[in-house]
Amino acid sequence: MFIKRLPGFEHHAATSIPGALDLLARYAEKAEVYAGGTDLLVAMKKREKIPEHLIDLKGIAEMRGIHSDDQKGIHIGSLTTLAELEGSTVVKEKFGALWDAVHVMASPQIRTLGTIGGNLCGAVPSADTAPPLIALGGSVKMVGPNGDRSVLVENFFKGPKESVLRKNEILKEVFIPNPAEFTSGSYIKLMRRNALDLALVGVAAYLRLDSNGKICKEARIALGAVAPTPIRVPQAEEVLTDRTIDITRAGEAGRVASQVCRPITDIRSTLGYRCSMVEVLTKRAVIEAHRRILSTR
Amino acid sequence: MEEYSVVGKSVERTDGRVKVAGKARYAGDLVASGMLHGKILRSPLAHAKILSIDTSRAKALPGVMAVITGKDFPGIPFGTRPDTRDQLPMPITKVHHFGEGVAAVAATDEDTAEEALDLIKVDYEELPAVLTAADALNPDAPLVNEFMKSNIAYSSNFLFGDVEKGFKEADHIREETFSSQRVTVGFIEPHACLAEVDPTGRILLQGSKQSPYITWRHMCRALDIPLSKMRIVNPFVGGAFSGKHDPFDVDFAAAKLAQITGRPVKIVLNYDEVLAAYRQRNAMDARLRIGVKRNGAITALKAECVLEGGPISGIGPFNIYYFGAFMNIPYKIPAIEYHGKLVYSNRAPCGTVRGQEIVLAQFALDSLLHMVSEDIGMDQVEIRSINAVTDKWRTANGMMVDVSGLRECIKRSAEKIGWKESRKGRPEGRGIGFSCASHPSGPRLGGHFGSSVMLKLVEDGKVVITHGGTEIGQGANTVFCQMAAEVLGLPFEDIIQGVSDSDTTIFDSGMFGDRCTYWDGNATIAAANDLKRQLAVIAAKELGANPEDLEFKNRRIFIKETPEKGIDFLLAVRRTYYERGEPLYGKGYWAATDIDIVDWKTGKGNLAHGLDFIATGIEVEVDKETGKVTLIKGVHGDDAGQPINPAMLEGQVNGGSAHMTGHALLEESLYDEKGLALNYTWRDYKQPTSMDVPEYTVEHVHTHDPYGPFGAKGAGEASSCSTLAAIANGVYDAVGVRIKDLPITPEKILKALAEKERK
Amino acid sequence: MKHVEITLRVNGIKYAVDVKPQRTLVEVLRETLGLTGTKKSCNEGECGACTVLMDGKPVASCLALAIDAQGKEILTIEGLSEGENLHPIQEAFLKHGGIQCGFCTPGMVMSAKAFLDEHPKPTQTEVRQAISGNLCRCTGYQQIVDSIMAGSKMMKRES
Repeated sequence: MFIKRLPGFEHHAATSIPGALDLLARYAEKAEVYAGGTDLLVAMKKREKIPEHLIDLKGIAEMRGIHSDDQKGIHIGSLTTLAELEGSTVVKEKFGALWDAVHVMASPQIRTLGTIGGNLCGAVPSADTAPPLIALGGSVKMVGPNGDRSVLVENFFKGPKESVLRKNEILKEVFIPNPAEFTSGSYIKLMRRNALDLALVGVAAYLRLDSNGKICKEARIALGAVAPTPIRVPQAEEVLTDRTIDITRAGEAGRVASQVCRPITDIRSTLGYRCSMVEVLTKRAVIEAHRRILSTR
Repeated sequence: MEEYSVVGKSVERTDGRVKVAGKARYAGDLVASGMLHGKILRSPLAHAKILSIDTSRAKALPGVMAVITGKDFPGIPFGTRPDTRDQLPMPITKVHHFGEGVAAVAATDEDTAEEALDLIKVDYEELPAVLTAADALNPDAPLVNEFMKSNIAYSSNFLFGDVEKGFKEADHIREETFSSQRVTVGFIEPHACLAEVDPTGRILLQGSKQSPYITWRHMCRALDIPLSKMRIVNPFVGGAFSGKHDPFDVDFAAAKLAQITGRPVKIVLNYDEVLAAYRQRNAMDARLRIGVKRNGAITALKAECVLEGGPISGIGPFNIYYFGAFMNIPYKIPAIEYHGKLVYSNRAPCGTVRGQEIVLAQFALDSLLHMVSEDIGMDQVEIRSINAVTDKWRTANGMMVDVSGLRECIKRSAEKIGWKESRKGRPEGRGIGFSCASHPSGPRLGGHFGSSVMLKLVEDGKVVITHGGTEIGQGANTVFCQMAAEVLGLPFEDIIQGVSDSDTTIFDSGMFGDRCTYWDGNATIAAANDLKRQLAVIAAKELGANPEDLEFKNRRIFIKETPEKGIDFLLAVRRTYYERGEPLYGKGYWAATDIDIVDWKTGKGNLAHGLDFIATGIEVEVDKETGKVTLIKGVHGDDAGQPINPAMLEGQVNGGSAHMTGHALLEESLYDEKGLALNYTWRDYKQPTSMDVPEYTVEHVHTHDPYGPFGAKGAGEASSCSTLAAIANGVYDAVGVRIKDLPITPEKILKALAEKERK
Repeated sequence: MKHVEITLRVNGIKYAVDVKPQRTLVEVLRETLGLTGTKKSCNEGECGACTVLMDGKPVASCLALAIDAQGKEILTIEGLSEGENLHPIQEAFLKHGGIQCGFCTPGMVMSAKAFLDEHPKPTQTEVRQAISGNLCRCTGYQQIVDSIMAGSKMMKRES
């Protein structure tokens, strides 16, 4: 019912991926991995999770850092903090939708600790990094005892707080392909107040225009907090593909998106309001992505 | 306008350095040798009989020193009034709200204390819960409070003037209903208390308490000990806003556990406990009917309200009284009829919050005023100016407005916010809302009501001040140092703030109602004059002059007519200490006996001095697609008489307005259908952050209050009273929708816009 | 429960302490090291009262394990001043009314310091964003923003 002091546990600091996997194998369901701990520690204080063993991943050097590959894309170690992402010029300039998200997540003192890996593995429907990563075509690399595998972020989530990451796997890194020419994205987060808040609705939009900057050749729209998982909305994307982008078209995409989303009514907001806001935010995210492309031409 | 040396200057707070360096000790920071840690077990149900509590396993846990329940207390109920004694330290026969403390543990460390809570077994028999005022008034409703025979905790019915006549004279009448939600008080420091008992049975209590006098009286009664058996020493308090007057289970449990174990016991809550189970502002339903003439003058007002206040009446009777009595300000209303009811419920217990019930009454009244103003085609600023009380106005219930700068406040804030320009044209979705308000500087309740101050002269020429007020952040300590310095002609730094200790201080009746600056301020002046008189006698002898001809300035005492004939202040001090062997004290008290004691029955009388006036203009922007409201700018024209410390006064005005922004737009304490609290975490209870409040400007309107210290009035609570309506009116001005049930949420705005579209 | 031996570097001083692994940084600061300047309120990262700096960045110390604070430079409010010599940000708070009850102040000042160290010429909006994770109920934030803006100028003068 009420928050308590943390329960007791044995602490293990992993210094390598094999080391971490080893610890996971040894302690299995009695263990939880963590990095920033901003979600896990709260869950433990509420006694929602009571692991006997905590495995700290922060010492795993190969999971740190943002590495740009001019050929392919950007590799973001899962231990990269939200603050590091916020302070990264390459993220802000080339992967703006992701930057939009980290800029409005939690608070400065949580962003210093919280990691992109933690945000994804927590798999809450409102996870702010998810819609932008989906819209940007991001994928995650997971490592387990049988090797590694990659999965598109849009296929990473299974349900509320549930992902495809197996209990004996670790999320190693996030990969986002380099943006093509005439592309941009944006993420808009609707909150009850203007800071330190979860998303009531989150919408990410990504557009690729033709070389004349007129026709949209590709669109990706992803929604957060309005379904059991973050979702991609191909029906809304179809509305924009091979068409010119204007406020009417963007509005139409919004209307379609609002019909596809499946939000709930909870203490934070109502189903009706969330659906209406999907429509508004989708329209705005599309217009903003469009504006960003045009402004760089 | 008099030119002062210290008063009127924005001097640095006396406690600023200690706080900013992280050295100020709040109750939770205190430690005592052999201290035990206490924790409280809380009810998971809103309304239930306590069939049994088995504490045996908890008591047996190594490290646990004592476990108590409500039965460990004498069973004597306490309350604000003799006829509202409906509260126990901890429940005995039944629990009344979710999170109510039913047992408490003291252990050698916090982890053990937490573990012990899990070992206490409580058998409950769930009872149907009463949640809203409608529930409570239902004839079949279960009785909430076991000491009372009805769910109506209190009621007031007032009649001032001839209301029938007033409505007959009106050219236009309008009636509307308003409602306001449950909100938490929201100070940042959670409740904490350290209690120790010495072998004579004397309790030393150091808790985060706003009004130690109230705590003291209630605790001694409920613990069945004489008043002299409790000593209270105040640590720093991390905000209170009227949420920390009463003693809580935290304080009672710490004291009782200390009594049983013979060791100091400290209990510090986590904020989720505060949100779930401690003071909130009562929910309100109100119906107001107003009559105005074509020229905008108000002719009559009828107001009814029901306050839903949780399972104890607490200060509720006062809330009901305030709502009606203070309808008489800030506007001239010749006739008022009022009916107010306070009902019990099984939600968190309510006290009052910053601005008291005037906050809710003014929300209703100033929203309604906006509506009738539009009905008769009158400008919002003009109608308020027409009706604003003026100097020497006697209200319908007999309150005397000595000085009112309200018209000037209205003029200045309208100017500053660009009202005229905005009427010619403004961007889509933008609007400005106005509201006025007034708050008295401390009413006169029954019982102990005088404020007292003691100044102790130190050998090195400094002065230590102790006063009965409690510094909760509002700046009380600082302004009294300023006042003492001014009277004694000393620099501000020469006045040293002493400890707030009930053994050496006579506590004020309480830190509420905006009374502190006014009442303790006047007592400070009296004490300083007392000390001054005694020093003047000594200096006069030294100078061969008459004491009445002497002036105190710049650490000197000199003859007014011939300033070069004088002595150092320090010389007079040394004379008395070293030559006469007489240490000096300045003693002063102030009690406004010329105002009337609160007449609970009729609401009539000259209730208070020092009416502080405010005119608030808030510019808002409403996003018509999302319904989100953004506050662009807030301007407050404030008449607090003579500002003692302008910077601190602005802090009060800004703070009150920001606080109520949460109430207006963001906050609500939610319950499910069984009365279980839903959002008792700051993750889901949304208080305003720095990004949610606008830039504020305060326009000081200087007046001189004839009874106030240096002409000052209290300033802590007016802006809280004017903000709700200003925001509601601003939303209306922006997008043409009127939200009368708080909070004003985007959902409500969109719904109202859609309805408007349909019409 | 087994204790662990950890070394913490707080305000330039090395401490060797014996703690349970589940102790958070705010608990060790307050309960073991007696540094009660850092406050604890919500205990779940939603109020900012427990903000301290780790290697110059603001963190919610209620959500950091003490174990994980090893090897970092921890700065608390007590480390900002030396006796009567206050940091320019602290002086600014005193001068511009940025303190009322003082409970949010340590966290607020630490957030401000971390921010101003990286953004010496901020706008008002940037300042508001920097303290958006620190709740205050007394001041309405206006004078806190004024204090931080003034603090930035005072720091510039000193450097």
